[in-house]
Amino acid sequence: MKKQILVNDNLIEWQENLTINKILKIMNYSFKMLVIKVDGELIKKDEYGTKIVSENADVKIIHLISGG
Amino acid sequence: MINIIIDGKKIEVEKGTTILEAAKKLNIIIPALCDREVVKAYGACRLCVVDVNDGNEIKMVTSCNYLINKEIEVFMQSERVRKTRKMLLEMMLSRWPNVPMIKQFAAEYGVIKPRMIHPLVDYSENACILCGLCVNACSEMVWEDIIGFAGRGENRRVVMPFEKHYEACIGCSTCANICPTGAIYMTDIPNKPADEKRIDKFGMKITEEMTLMDDEQCDMRGVGTAHLTQIMNDYDLLPTTNYRFGSHKEAGKLHSDVFKAKFTQGLPDGCWLGCTMSCAKSIDNYELKSGPYKGQKVLVDGPEYETVAGCGANLGIFNPEFVIEANFYCDTYGIDTISFATGLAFVMECFENGILDKEKTGDLELNFGNEEAAMEILHQMGRGDGFGIIVGQGIRRMKKIFTEKNDLTDEQIQFMQDIGMEAKGLEYSEYVTKESLAMQGGYGLALKGAQHDEAWLIFMDMVNNQIPTFADKAEALHYFPMFRTWFGLMGLCKLPWNDVEPADNAENDEPAKIPGHVEGYVNFFSAMTGKEIDKHELIRQSERVYNFQRVFNFRLGYGNRESDRIPYRSAGPVTNEEYESRAERYDKQLIEKWNYDIEGKTSKEKRDFLRKMREEDYQKLCDAVYNRRGWDDNGVPTIEKMREIGMDLPEVVEVLKRA
Repeated sequence: MKKQILVNDNLIEWQENLTINKILKIMNYSFKMLVIKVDGELIKKDEYGTKIVSENADVKIIHLISGG
Repeated sequence: MINIIIDGKKIEVEKGTTILEAAKKLNIIIPALCDREVVKAYGACRLCVVDVNDGNEIKMVTSCNYLINKEIEVFMQSERVRKTRKMLLEMMLSRWPNVPMIKQFAAEYGVIKPRMIHPLVDYSENACILCGLCVNACSEMVWEDIIGFAGRGENRRVVMPFEKHYEACIGCSTCANICPTGAIYMTDIPNKPADEKRIDKFGMKITEEMTLMDDEQCDMRGVGTAHLTQIMNDYDLLPTTNYRFGSHKEAGKLHSDVFKAKFTQGLPDGCWLGCTMSCAKSIDNYELKSGPYKGQKVLVDGPEYETVAGCGANLGIFNPEFVIEANFYCDTYGIDTISFATGLAFVMECFENGILDKEKTGDLELNFGNEEAAMEILHQMGRGDGFGIIVGQGIRRMKKIFTEKNDLTDEQIQFMQDIGMEAKGLEYSEYVTKESLAMQGGYGLALKGAQHDEAWLIFMDMVNNQIPTFADKAEALHYFPMFRTWFGLMGLCKLPWNDVEPADNAENDEPAKIPGHVEGYVNFFSAMTGKEIDKHELIRQSERVYNFQRVFNFRLGYGNRESDRIPYRSAGPVTNEEYESRAERYDKQLIEKWNYDIEGKTSKEKRDFLRKMREEDYQKLCDAVYNRRGWDDNGVPTIEKMREIGMDLPEVVEVLKRA
């Protein structure tokens, strides 16, 4: 069985050395005003490239509102 | 990374860090009068001097603007350093003996009374100490150069050009807010706010956020709302050829970088004096290719996102020059770019589906992507002739006119109802809502018609999955329309609320509401009027007006369930082509959400079932929203609700008795 994580309640295939930046790329999330939590823990912007997400993690990538 | 030593303590810093920044990380305090994160280090006061051993020599430098590029050792408290600071402070104290921050630093270095009196001694507690923060803030934070230094040596002073009042000053108060001594202060004579300082504090917070974070967040100063085009395309939300699709391979041609290269104006006072978000952009010397001003070079105000998406992708025209020209002529003729674009997109789809033909359009081939014909329609609308007279009446009337004048089948009439993107007679603005039920409500339930400015919920709903239940969506469709109505009540722009966010916003329980800014607006109201309110009263103020407007709509035959109806394209795929373009998404939903067996089913069968489900969901959403807002089953505010919010005026009750 494939290893997975949840991203905004969507099941996504997990891979080795999966960083937040990689998840953003996989999901094609290009919007910048985000609040990201992994298993409830807030991830700061300067950790997006270094924080490794483990399998079965519950990742919330909350997009804020922008525009008129 | 570079290893350095500060007073014996080791620290690793990034190349380019200043010594002052590194010291702060070690909680070492260096005295400085002109150090602020929001402006570049300037080295004006020189109190931050330190000794640096760079391997070759020991030299004295100002720590605020010394960039660390190699391993160094820093001495903060060497005898030479302390002696220099003491001498500087004695000289400052001799000139500005009563400025509190100078007195405090001087006392720390044992200087209580200077040995001399400066010839230009200023005994004011609020004396200007020539730190230069105001000059740099005006230039770097506000993008203006209203004030600057004049004179040299003891004659150095902060002035406006030629030492006269400079009318270009927009009164943003940034200089006053950053001034450490109070030498510059603002007086708001026209508005007479109850508490100016409290207002300034909130304004300065936004200005600081814009200075520090806008480049990484929305780039409002750089491109304005046009930054959204590529984002909407990435999320399948950019309306393409009358909202059939949400992205297009040629969308890159409308990328904000393309417009950024054309923008010649992006001044801080672009649309409102003193606003440092400065999102209004302009293009100078654009040479028009068509119309009554053909060949003339003009200034074009914009374009903003809605104009780019509407006049570009939604018409199947991926040419930025067309967008700019359409923007100019819409403004010149007094036509809304959104209604023009969405209306014409409807016409183009009717043309491609045989509801219209060249005979009916005055020989114009109104296919998607036909720039020349699209521009001709705009000129006809402006002149009031040809087929433009009909297009200019908007989608709701066009549907009626086409039904009456053209020999259409029932199927064609239904198709027009499905693809005519209007609600309450107003054309949709430029977002694809098919995958966000809450946003369908955002458009359909908005009082003025299909506009997104009451509630933009697509990310919360479709991307974040934050509001999965009908009750969740209804709560969002209560809070956000009420909150955003308040900006209209106050005459305030809402972009500073949500197009820049505080650095600590992520740490709040409800980051989507941007609580730090809500608190700011509450403070703004209280400080301006002298009447203390809280965030609940803010919503209550809107509720009174919002419900009154709904009753007004009801009196005119609009404020009810029927008027909240939306065209089906807002909720789902109208054609097989649309279904099949996103078949994986729709098939998955049919199976997982509704246990529908797709085996052997045609696209039309699947599409019909999906439509039934989504239309039912929209009605359930209306039920939930009406309930949350205190309205009856037909979407009319109840007399009890009006009583609760203090709006049970006799005339209002009289209207509601007819419900």
